[in-house]
Amino acid sequence: MLSLIWLLLALFVAFPLLMLGIRAATDNGTFDLMPAINALRQTNTLRAFLNSLLLATLVGVLGTALGFLFAFTVARARVGRLMAWLLDTATLLPLISPPFTTSIAFVFSFGPRGFITHGVLGWENAQVYGLRSTLVAEALTYFPLAYMALRPMLTAIGGNLEEMAFSLGSSRWRAFRTVTLKLTVPGLANAFLLLFAASLADFATPLILAGNDLPVLPTEAYLQITGMFDLKGGAVLSLLLLVPALLVFLLQRRLVARRSYVTLGGKGVRASAGDSVTPKLRWVLVIGCMLVVLFIFYLYGLLAYASAVRAFGANGTPTLANYRVVFTQGMPAIRDTLIIAAIAMPLGGLYGVLVGSLVGRVRGGQALELVSMINYALPGTVVGIGYLVAFNTPPFLMTGTAAIIIACYIFRYSPSGIRTTIALLAQIDRSIEEASTSLGAGTATTFRRVMLPLVLPAFFAGLSVVFIRSMTAISATIFLVSIHWTLITVRILENMTELSLGPAAAFSIFVIVVVLVVTKGLELLLRQLSGRSAQLMMVERE
Amino acid sequence: MVDVRLEHLSAEFTHPSRGTVVAVRDVDLHVQSGELLTLLGPSGCGKTTVLRIIAGFQVPTAGRVFIDNQDVTSVLANRRDIGFVFQNYALFPHLTVQENVAYGLRVRRQSAADIVRNVEKVLQLVDLAGFGPRLPDELSGGQQQRVALARAVVIQPRVLLFDEPLSNLDAKLRVQMRSEIRELQRVLGITTVYVTHDQEEAMAISDRIAVMDQGRIAQCDTAEELYRRPASSFVASFLGRTNLLDASVVRRDGDRVILDMEGQCLSVEASAAFGAGDAVRAMIRPEAIGIGPAGEGLRATVVTRTYLGDKVEYVVRCASQDLHIVRFNPTESERFTPGSEVTISLPSDGVQLLPGN
Amino acid sequence: MRHIGPSISRRLVLGATLATPFIRRAAAATEVNAYSIWPENYAQPVFNVFEQATGIHVNFVRFSSGEALARVIAEKANPQVDLLFGGPVETFTAGVGKDVFAPYTSPEAAALPGRFKDPHGLWTAIADDPLVFMTNTAFLKQHNLSPPASWDDLLNPAYKNMLQMADARTSGTAVTRIFSIIMANNKDENAAFAYMKKLRQNVQLYTKSGGGGTLPIGLGQAGGGIFFIVDALYTRQQGYDVQISFPREGIGSAAECIALLQGARNPEPAKKLIDWATSPAMQSLYVKEKINFLPANAKVQPDQTMVDMLKNAKVLEIDDNWAGANRERIVARWVAEVLNS
Repeated sequence: MLSLIWLLLALFVAFPLLMLGIRAATDNGTFDLMPAINALRQTNTLRAFLNSLLLATLVGVLGTALGFLFAFTVARARVGRLMAWLLDTATLLPLISPPFTTSIAFVFSFGPRGFITHGVLGWENAQVYGLRSTLVAEALTYFPLAYMALRPMLTAIGGNLEEMAFSLGSSRWRAFRTVTLKLTVPGLANAFLLLFAASLADFATPLILAGNDLPVLPTEAYLQITGMFDLKGGAVLSLLLLVPALLVFLLQRRLVARRSYVTLGGKGVRASAGDSVTPKLRWVLVIGCMLVVLFIFYLYGLLAYASAVRAFGANGTPTLANYRVVFTQGMPAIRDTLIIAAIAMPLGGLYGVLVGSLVGRVRGGQALELVSMINYALPGTVVGIGYLVAFNTPPFLMTGTAAIIIACYIFRYSPSGIRTTIALLAQIDRSIEEASTSLGAGTATTFRRVMLPLVLPAFFAGLSVVFIRSMTAISATIFLVSIHWTLITVRILENMTELSLGPAAAFSIFVIVVVLVVTKGLELLLRQLSGRSAQLMMVERE
Repeated sequence: MVDVRLEHLSAEFTHPSRGTVVAVRDVDLHVQSGELLTLLGPSGCGKTTVLRIIAGFQVPTAGRVFIDNQDVTSVLANRRDIGFVFQNYALFPHLTVQENVAYGLRVRRQSAADIVRNVEKVLQLVDLAGFGPRLPDELSGGQQQRVALARAVVIQPRVLLFDEPLSNLDAKLRVQMRSEIRELQRVLGITTVYVTHDQEEAMAISDRIAVMDQGRIAQCDTAEELYRRPASSFVASFLGRTNLLDASVVRRDGDRVILDMEGQCLSVEASAAFGAGDAVRAMIRPEAIGIGPAGEGLRATVVTRTYLGDKVEYVVRCASQDLHIVRFNPTESERFTPGSEVTISLPSDGVQLLPGN
Repeated sequence: MRHIGPSISRRLVLGATLATPFIRRAAAATEVNAYSIWPENYAQPVFNVFEQATGIHVNFVRFSSGEALARVIAEKANPQVDLLFGGPVETFTAGVGKDVFAPYTSPEAAALPGRFKDPHGLWTAIADDPLVFMTNTAFLKQHNLSPPASWDDLLNPAYKNMLQMADARTSGTAVTRIFSIIMANNKDENAAFAYMKKLRQNVQLYTKSGGGGTLPIGLGQAGGGIFFIVDALYTRQQGYDVQISFPREGIGSAAECIALLQGARNPEPAKKLIDWATSPAMQSLYVKEKINFLPANAKVQPDQTMVDMLKNAKVLEIDDNWAGANRERIVARWVAEVLNS
């Protein structure tokens, strides 16, 4: 079993990267670094590289700040049930939306005749393209990652550490500064790196919003390949992207591996932190969050509106025509996407649980985990181009098949399943396995009867993530779709370039609804099977 | 000197599924200066809520809190000048022992030199000299407990509050730490409120114990008084093992009454509340009951006999009721095996009458 | 043929086997695969008519011209499709340079003028598509402008940050535009680039696709731009109030083409589609289906409104051979001197 896994990893993780490197470093079969070096020496390449880093840093900072605001509000400000629901929904939507949704809404809200800048504020020459829009759109898309990383942490700290500081005479602000904030630093760093990586890899937002003055690596690599027919140049650019991405990934691993001070759900921890914010501050927090929530709802409202009118901005007649397009012309894409998702889901879920349970139990488990994370850590552009280069020629001819897309999903989006499995198994005492063995059960029986039910939530988390990504990912798969197998997200991009905004919006709404329904269904199924409620929205970045 | 007074204190919560829950009902309590008073009761009796209200972590629904005759009901926790020791110690995990202890002193803007001196002194007091540079993670449970203690007392609080501080320690350490806490409290003379659900711990450490039941104070007195003269069967059975026997009052005889208990007449001390014909419950501690070979008197059958070295515990069946009996330093000849017939004797001065059902 | 791929692992095969019932699609008796550069709402109706007429089913996916060509090049060793359908001639001349097409001369080709066919039969025109200036009517009114009638009109400071046009790295529209400007400057490349650098000051955004700017202009987010007439007319059909005009110095036009790929797996039906697409059978559908191209085949009568519109327009001939030979150099120069200036 282990050797099979290693074989698969070699084929679907190492081989494409190797081929990508070879492609970048050879010219017509001979080793020649000059073209690659020339590509790197272009000022434009350096600019794109620096822009990518700048954008990722800013998105990391802004997104972490937003995530902290939301997490702190939920953990401390005693929000009511409705408010909590609003916050949850607003943080869920961006994570399960297909690409471009925020960007489309931005384009129509800002700019010289933007609904907000011109319609509401009356400004004449507002510009939408550039750093500001890209930054805000990406921060809004990815801050839920920071929120989800920080919320459990702040809730855990919330208990009597703050009360302790309080009883020792410190003010609220001082307790926040010297205890809460200090203890959250590893979480903040982790959130920052998550967002940094997400922004670094983001392809869709800068494609629409960055404009001419902010070239970034993922879009440049895409343009190099699709516009200049320059696979080599694209390979070089994507390898350039690989450096900071791997660096961030390793840094994050070290950070998480270091023992955190905060023990989640520790004994005697009581989350009665109602008094750690003053009523006035509570209002500031709640209003701050509500502004963000309203803005997010506004963006989705705009999307829903665009999907239901004849021509956005010109003809506001309500129509179902756009949805008709989705279910007629869009049907092949929908069918392909669902078939691919249906195959990738169980395989991905199984693969995640399998690798996750092997990690702690075999020699070389650490290496196994590291290698299994690589495709996830790399920006989709790198993985997509790597697969394109590696599987386009015999002996592993796979372009044009569904298998290449399925493989991409399995090896790119299973890390959440792997990590959840590792985490679940870490909580399970080794003696449980031993107890089963001592009762005469073989390894296989022990796995099936004891371990499998215990890691069921991880399996479902794997299913859920693979499904969400099958429905929403584009950065890697844009290079892998073919005449035979296409995907909804690629259709949305095509609709955007065809300027069929209505169908693009209708497709987006359709995807959001399907994802919500399926993940809720998975949650219910898991509850039925395991008898406990579970939160499955273990959403990862694209 | 500082005392703590609670007047008509009540606290309610909104529970997600059970609606409004009353945690504390109309509690009056006066903790004397320099006294160590324990709030004792089963979990959910409201004792921790009372403590947290004294600390200022929670606001009472009704009633008032006085510290040193000053109404502090609406004063924030950080202005009350209290030292609090949590069940899980709540040590700041990112700060060293030295920094943890110094935290409250820094807040109070003591000079660096003073801080070093005070921390040193208090660490010596809790037997942790030299542990200053360590992180809480690197300490044992008992040591963490001492850091928490040091951190609470170093600020010279007006009141010390303990919330089940020993429950995370093993039995042996618990006994040691409780005497250390008691000793420290006596030396420093700080008025202290201590919460526990362990009656032995409460008896060992307290000047007085307030037994709490369902949000109310059932009885507040010294350990000895509570043991000897519990005001209710709840208090009686919560403190130590006890026998509660149904009986009826035959007649009064001055400040005593004559009881009919399983056909046996017994004259016991009783308050004026009990008169002829009353159904009562007689509380008799196991060590007060005598046991001897079958003969004249109340007959019983031995059910079990447990030999514990310095004592022997019996369970005997007398008519329809089971009685616990403890004999200390039993002689070798005194051996009643299960099934054997014995005679038991009820002492007249070891019986406490409680209202019957 | 749809196939799920070589057996990579037992699990993949198992998954594939389980899913097989969902995967097999009823294949038409004959079929042909194409990358369409035309949008779906143009391609689908004509392919439907083709299938009715011949019984040949056309599988197609829509890609923008750059991406479609990139795919064709990438898949050269293992072609996934038989045809490249639609898209401006410069994409096809670039493809000739990459050696991806197979020669085929349709019977209609003989009658076509030189700029509508490759001398070796590697591609053939199916339509003609001139560039136009498109401006937002409200924007013009607000700034007291009349529709631009000269290339220099677009340098008016009133257009500052308000023009959108395509990015030459991805869009055939952009490349045709750049060639047009060079031609309008009598092939004086330096003068043309000097003009484009000045124009850059007024450009709000270079879009990824040729028509990317039409919707923003329709909405007033931008004031104007340079587009193929097909996109401009589509914008108008959608209901946006825009003006279409031409520069008096002249503007280029691009033939829309079709080409057979080397190694096509279904060469015979593909050739049938080329024959059909170059004939009046398809091109007479343009008027009926509101496909805003001019027919390439002289036997087909173009839409009268388009004829009227183009009556006074001066269309410049772009030398395809020169364009094909210089394309990469010109685009690189544009990226270096104009885009990143």
